[in-house]
Amino acid sequence: MAVDRKFLLLCAAEILVVAVGDLFAALILQTIVLAAFLGDRRGYPAYAGAIVLFAAVLLASGRILLPLLGLTAALGGGFLALTLRDYRLARWARGEA
Amino acid sequence: MLRPTRTAGGVAALALLLAAAAHLLLMPAAALAAGSLGLFLLWRGWRFGNDLAVAVTSLTVTRDVDPTILRQGAVASVRVQADCAVPPGMAIHVHDIPPAVAAGDGPLCEPGKAVTYAIRLMAPGETAFGGIVLSAGDAFFSCDLFCRRFDAPRLRVFPVGTPEAGRGIGTHGESTEVDRKTTLAAQGVRGFRAYQKGDDPRLVDWKVTARRGTLYIREMTGLSGGAPLIAVDIPILTGDPEDFARLSTAVYGAIEGAIASRDGCSLLVAAGGEIVRFLPRILANREAFAALGGLSPLEPRAHLYRAPGPAVLAGRARMSGQGAGPEERVFRERLGGVLSAFAATSPAPFTVAIRAALDRAEATDIRIYSLLSEGDKSHLLQLIHEAKVRGMRVTLRAPAGAGTLPGVDAVEVL
Repeated sequence: MAVDRKFLLLCAAEILVVAVGDLFAALILQTIVLAAFLGDRRGYPAYAGAIVLFAAVLLASGRILLPLLGLTAALGGGFLALTLRDYRLARWARGEA
Repeated sequence: MLRPTRTAGGVAALALLLAAAAHLLLMPAAALAAGSLGLFLLWRGWRFGNDLAVAVTSLTVTRDVDPTILRQGAVASVRVQADCAVPPGMAIHVHDIPPAVAAGDGPLCEPGKAVTYAIRLMAPGETAFGGIVLSAGDAFFSCDLFCRRFDAPRLRVFPVGTPEAGRGIGTHGESTEVDRKTTLAAQGVRGFRAYQKGDDPRLVDWKVTARRGTLYIREMTGLSGGAPLIAVDIPILTGDPEDFARLSTAVYGAIEGAIASRDGCSLLVAAGGEIVRFLPRILANREAFAALGGLSPLEPRAHLYRAPGPAVLAGRARMSGQGAGPEERVFRERLGGVLSAFAATSPAPFTVAIRAALDRAEATDIRIYSLLSEGDKSHLLQLIHEAKVRGMRVTLRAPAGAGTLPGVDAVEVL
């Protein structure tokens, strides 16, 4: 229930982020919102760096679809790498590797 | 395999929604929000993977079993404790996996806390634990990791002589027959079975007959019917665990005996109207015990609702109306028509599965192990009927006083 409430707050905060309109203000707001969503913030600066980079790409390209497609491809590769790592860990745990 | 939680699914859906809004309304802020949420999930997944690796590599399991050398069917007490580093924000549970030949389920324990439970080892030989399953989860991802390396200590189980094992006196020596083996390959008495119509009367063994109260004949080595089919009827959940343990011991003993006699056997495990497992022509203990491992009383998922099966329905449909009054004849004709239509259109998947299993097993002898629990026994009736159609000899092994079923040739006490 606590997570559900947090998730509803996140949805409301995202509406606020979109409503701000300005990319720089949205970036700062989004960083604060997601940090507030987490209880344990280990490694958060690295993540914040990644969204700053994405905001810079959005600003530089002046487009929306192209950076989103690029990010989708990067995320796909990232999740594939995660799956592979998980598979290797599972094999090691089973004693097969 | 990493599994996203409901929260992670919600964040992903929100990201997709924002991406669609950004594309349609050309809003860079929405694109930033969508991208940052996608990146957020990737980062959390990466962090979960790191935390999981830390937990798994630091995991140690201490397991004490008392005793480690025991007899088949005896209860052993297991004390297990798992210790590992638990990263912040992550919940970890460890599920102990008992040996494949053990009856009883391992508990779920938390790291650092010892848990004690009991198992009953059903098959003789040397065996080991199956390992543990580490279940880890945080707010966004969860994962179950099977660790086989924690299988210590090894257990040695000594057999209890059962009639099927051919070693003489069984667990209930007074109520079961001794299946003595001979060193002569072709002329010895291999065992005894209930008399069937057409058997040679000279083969009747009068001592066994007098003891059992029904005609028994000697089965000569080399003349017996080959690999039997062992059918196990898994009882429902509400039964007595002791009864199930006795049933399991008898099944393991029967399989071991059949394999030791070099005939092998086929194994059919049914729970209500569902065939849980079927193994034709088993020749190795390991294969059979792996199939039986983890079986426990369960609530049937498929119900037959006391359906007698299409063969019986078809028989009733053919029932003649001779000797009945005109009204009864009309009723029987109508009933026959309804039953014929029902028998023709009903797929009867359980019967089809039984027929396929019996055809594959190619056995002439079926041994049914059941507790004959209260409730629907139509699955057993269908099994017996199909076996009798194929001319198989049906032996039922059930607890004393549990009764019998129509079509059974011999009943033996578990």
